[in-house]
Amino acid sequence: MNRVRKLKLALWTGIGMAFAAAVARFLFGLGASTYLTDGNPWGIWIGFDVMSGVALAAGGFVLTATVYVFKLERFHSVVRPAVLTAFLGYVAVAVGLLFDLGLPWNIWHMIVFWNPHSPLFEVGWCVMLYLTVLTLEFFPVPAEEFGALARVRRFLLKFRLPLVIAGIGLSTLHQSSLGSLFLIMPYRLDPLWYSPILPLLFLVSAIALGLMMVAFESHCTAYLYRRKPETAVLADLLGAARWVLAGYLVLRFADLALRGLLSHLFAPSAHTALFWFELTLMAIAPAALLFVSRIRRSRAGQWIAAGLGVSGVVLNRVDVGGLAHIARGGPFYFPSWTEIVISGGIVSASILLFLFMIERFHIWEQRPADPDADPLKLPEFNPVGTTWLGVPAVAAKTAYSLGFVLAAAAGFALLGNLPARSRGIEPAPVHRARGAEKLWIDGNLDGNGVLFPHEDHENREGGKASCVKCHHMNLPRDRNTACAACHRDEYLAADAFRHDWHASPTGGRMACLECHPAGQVRSAATAVRCDHCHKDLVPAGATIQVKHYLAPSYVDAMHRLCIGCHTQKAREKNKPAMAQCAWCHKEKRSVVDADVARGSGAVGRRVVTPPELK
Amino acid sequence: MKAAILTDTTKCIGCLECVAACKKENRLEGDIPRAWDEDDGLSARNWTSVVEGSGHEYVRKQCRHCLEPACVSACPVGALHKTDIGAVVYDSDRCMGCRYCMMACPYGIPRYSWDAPVPYVRKCILCYSRIEQGRQPACTEACPAKATIFGDRDELLAEAHRRVAENPGKYGSKVWGEKEAGGASVLMISNQDLSFLTGGRDLSPASLPSHTAAAMEAVPFVFTGVVATMAGVGWIIRRRMELEKDPSHE
Repeated sequence: MNRVRKLKLALWTGIGMAFAAAVARFLFGLGASTYLTDGNPWGIWIGFDVMSGVALAAGGFVLTATVYVFKLERFHSVVRPAVLTAFLGYVAVAVGLLFDLGLPWNIWHMIVFWNPHSPLFEVGWCVMLYLTVLTLEFFPVPAEEFGALARVRRFLLKFRLPLVIAGIGLSTLHQSSLGSLFLIMPYRLDPLWYSPILPLLFLVSAIALGLMMVAFESHCTAYLYRRKPETAVLADLLGAARWVLAGYLVLRFADLALRGLLSHLFAPSAHTALFWFELTLMAIAPAALLFVSRIRRSRAGQWIAAGLGVSGVVLNRVDVGGLAHIARGGPFYFPSWTEIVISGGIVSASILLFLFMIERFHIWEQRPADPDADPLKLPEFNPVGTTWLGVPAVAAKTAYSLGFVLAAAAGFALLGNLPARSRGIEPAPVHRARGAEKLWIDGNLDGNGVLFPHEDHENREGGKASCVKCHHMNLPRDRNTACAACHRDEYLAADAFRHDWHASPTGGRMACLECHPAGQVRSAATAVRCDHCHKDLVPAGATIQVKHYLAPSYVDAMHRLCIGCHTQKAREKNKPAMAQCAWCHKEKRSVVDADVARGSGAVGRRVVTPPELK
Repeated sequence: MKAAILTDTTKCIGCLECVAACKKENRLEGDIPRAWDEDDGLSARNWTSVVEGSGHEYVRKQCRHCLEPACVSACPVGALHKTDIGAVVYDSDRCMGCRYCMMACPYGIPRYSWDAPVPYVRKCILCYSRIEQGRQPACTEACPAKATIFGDRDELLAEAHRRVAENPGKYGSKVWGEKEAGGASVLMISNQDLSFLTGGRDLSPASLPSHTAAAMEAVPFVFTGVVATMAGVGWIIRRRMELEKDPSHE
């Protein structure tokens, strides 16, 4: 097999895996197929596919501007591949977005529901419009091959210049507003990346990337198809790219200097290291290489410099899209294999389409052909290929199909536990109770706490087998159960009056009018009071009167009855202890004197062991 | 009336009645922690939670209902909007699931129902339908310690300042949510530093939508400018080339 066929086989295998993962994505949802979390709602589908896809497509508007607006005709040989890359790049972005959106079938909402304040709204519209422009710009190329389309082709070519100019305007907007997208997150993006001129930085780096991408692509296809690359033309393009990169570096450092962050550049942190790595890869190294005339004019030099620059800008987009965000706790995000495989599948499909287009249509000056498809080439004897894959004419297609099917099968086999993951349950270690046998719980840190007798609770709930009732061993990341989960009556008022029973024929057998006066709204407020019938409910002369049918919660009942008097008497008798919890609660030892706790330094901790129990 | 909530963390006893009331009112089911949950207890199934702050105090988390919400400005389809009474509410019929609101929120409040094949953004909606009926939100109604109370924003702000002024040693000088990021409808006072709610960084008074506003307002001008420049440059270059080819015009 030659280079092209090997690459195509690998790409078809990638698409096969992606197919299985894509089925899982739409069948089981985002939770099952991704490792996205509430803290990291954007993963590589945005950070890589969308952010880098748009950037990599920048060659389209840079080259059309060069050739059709600035009339630099010597670059004409590379303008078609650049537009094709742009077109496929945007298709890949749109497809990537369909995977990432939670409700992809609502993507058309952007057309009807407008929010012009949102940068994403603008990006969405520009991508839609620019994809249309690119389709119209590129359509004449495949149309050359079909005589029936000649009139459409001639019609479209008349509008080439307006289309090109509209495309430049739209590209300028959304290449930059991809940066504006992150202006609203000053507290999420690291200050080394967050800058008010982020849109400008994105635009300038996209222009540089566009130029380098054209060179990179030319050399890749030259290698694949053993084609002669346009080294002289590319040297001029890369000559322009080095100045754009130098300008980018000046902008980036001037921005950091103006914001007073130059000292951050040497702080020992992971983000600083990432910053230097990214900047070296995307701008410093390629610019330095390209300023050397001999490297800029050599085939290997161009390939290396452009390759570094392209991967550097992609890294920059991934950094801004997620890697350079400040962690805020919570689960760590690393893409799941399904996310990676789907991203890879989208890239693979784009490359395959690119290869198909350059083989089938007039993209390069000389249409490259699959070397093995040469009809004059003598067939080689290949026992494996001929026996298993068929005659040479179909062997490649058999291999691609097999690659796709086997990879898809492997992918489906790997999907086994995804439905379980869709419920979001993960195994988690369990730890023992961290306190002592008796815990002093002082929730609001006012010094008045309650004792929590762990052993008593355990015995009451059924011994050692009852741990799970509170410590929820089956619930991951759940520390323990709050008191209120069981002691609901401590704070909740209860309905003491059973209305249904009073009215039912087998219970109280009372008619409505016995309690609700005729002609008035039938509500608790207008009904007669309980002691109307229940004469003995409240003893004569009692200070407590029945006011409503809701019995106050346990805590309220106790406190409202006693605290008022206690506070008053404590003041009258100048005995502050009377108003403290311990005055009443002491016989059950459920409250520890606040002063003792304060003296022991226990205050300030929510759950501590009371000092006298140690 | 501009609806608001004032939460006083020094009064909170951590009983979680607000959480229970919220779940009941909004019919949120399920308590099992999920792999994608943050540690703060908020999730698509819990729109409010009580977390332990830096000084082991109880701090109730919920949507802060910002006066100039980043999420509303970020949503490309206008699925989020701030109602007249002040609640930031979500229209699931409009949402397309881009999750930009989750990225934009400085408090990290909106959560996603990741497990659902048809997922939505979930967050506190200030019980706006209850407020429209003249009732107060379920959480403030349920609070037994009156640690979190409902009222008009101006009045609650005055109350917060009154408490802080009366007890300067107890509270910090700050009313959280008064000014940060343009101000919020959910105010907090505490004896501790609450900046952990925003990832340990203090928010500046500038509202977040103002950061993108300049870039967005420039859009029509940039587009017109670029298109006009390109058309002009293109025309000049073409004209020059025509003249070069055909010197008889000179």
